Amino acid sequence: MRSRIPVILSLVFLFCYPSYAQLLDKEDESKLYAETKQVNQFFRRFNGEEDEKGERYYPRDKQYRSEKLRRKYIGMLFDDGNAGIKSDLKVQFAKEVLDKTKPVILDFHGGNWFSEVHTTFTMNGKSEPVTLFMELEKDHEGTKWVISRVYASMFDPYFKRDTTKVGKFLHPLSHELDFMNLRKAFNYTDSISQFTVKRFRPDHLSLFLYEIKKGNLKFKTVEEVKFHFFQVNNWYFELSEFNRPGYNSGWLISNLVRVNNESERNLLRKFLYYEGK
Amino acid sequence: MIKHRYLLGILLTILVIGNISAQKADISPERKQAIDSLALEKVRDLSKYISIIGNKKTPFSEAQRVMDRAEELFAPDAEMGVSSLNRKEINYYKVRKYFERLMALNYDKVTISWYDIHYISDLERQPDGRYVGVVTIYQRFEGTSDDGMKYKDTTKKDITIYVERKKTQISGRTVEFWDVMLGDIRVSETSA
Repeated sequence: MRSRIPVILSLVFLFCYPSYAQLLDKEDESKLYAETKQVNQFFRRFNGEEDEKGERYYPRDKQYRSEKLRRKYIGMLFDDGNAGIKSDLKVQFAKEVLDKTKPVILDFHGGNWFSEVHTTFTMNGKSEPVTLFMELEKDHEGTKWVISRVYASMFDPYFKRDTTKVGKFLHPLSHELDFMNLRKAFNYTDSISQFTVKRFRPDHLSLFLYEIKKGNLKFKTVEEVKFHFFQVNNWYFELSEFNRPGYNSGWLISNLVRVNNESERNLLRKFLYYEGK
Repeated sequence: MIKHRYLLGILLTILVIGNISAQKADISPERKQAIDSLALEKVRDLSKYISIIGNKKTPFSEAQRVMDRAEELFAPDAEMGVSSLNRKEINYYKVRKYFERLMALNYDKVTISWYDIHYISDLERQPDGRYVGVVTIYQRFEGTSDDGMKYKDTTKKDITIYVERKKTQISGRTVEFWDVMLGDIRVSETSA
């Protein structure tokens, strides 16, 4: 009997408070249904793997990846506020993605997509923006997000060099003198990058790790997250989150570019990684 | 009571899933649905606890007790990352601290209600073999002070769920079951 008292009290307690699924404004609710709430939902909608309420379809279901369903969803997955994505480009993209003989399905584990994470760190107490590029990597029994690259504008000045002028250099017979002129080269820290090979590309990730380990760089916050997809042959698209009223919100395609060949693809990747800067 | 309900949930999960010890690590659609139900049950409990903690009529001692129960839903080290429409920067709080701040909000009346909507992601396996998923829910908050000043917001809560196979003894027999723990929660104000 004694043990039943807490049970009864708990029941009374639970029913005295507002119920979980208290219905709120129906219109607001329909907007929340329309919102692409997670990147996972973007994948499922793009692939036609769920119903309007977000309930998953499985391969045994008739609707699973059906062209009709996908056609309906793909139109909703673009940022309508971006006039830069021309409608004929969207139509062309949808046509290729929904091709009856070779439909394109996004694959979470398929590679060729990565995240760009804008963060703020403090460097010796001063706030500094740091962009992390992240990708999924297989590890043991599953997968994990890992940092593949870093871009931090605070590191740029250390690598600046003007290659148009004849600057400082080590003359071609320096080796005969056991490179004794290195002493002079290293005296001027401002011009030190002039003594590196032309093909040298600074690696911000190494510096980033070094500064963190030294205790100079400390994480503060995440500002913005977006994703870059190269999974659809001959296309690139960017995925961003739009937190705004209305039915066109959540994770949406914010940029779409036709990529005609490998060289254009590499150029675009370099641009995304801030390598041209 | 809550523990009894979870035990019931776990037993139901065992019944739905059957004896899984001989099965592969992949999660079948039926198993995923059973896990989703268990995860939703925990999320609903959390929602209920948040409503109680935020309610100004809840006595202090009761709120403390509910916070203890709520904390039990979470994996160790779970944090809440909070941002608003005006401030993109995320503020990080330990779960207990978040509840304490909610309880201490300077309003005379607080109403917390929930949209009847949720979204459950797929489950992905992480390197340690556990599965991870995210459940999204929406909360409406209304705070009123005695002088009639009102504050309202709607927040989206993306809740991490960890799904793990555990073992228990039932009538001397070892039975495996799937358990769900809550993890980090991203709380963002939504303008939808």
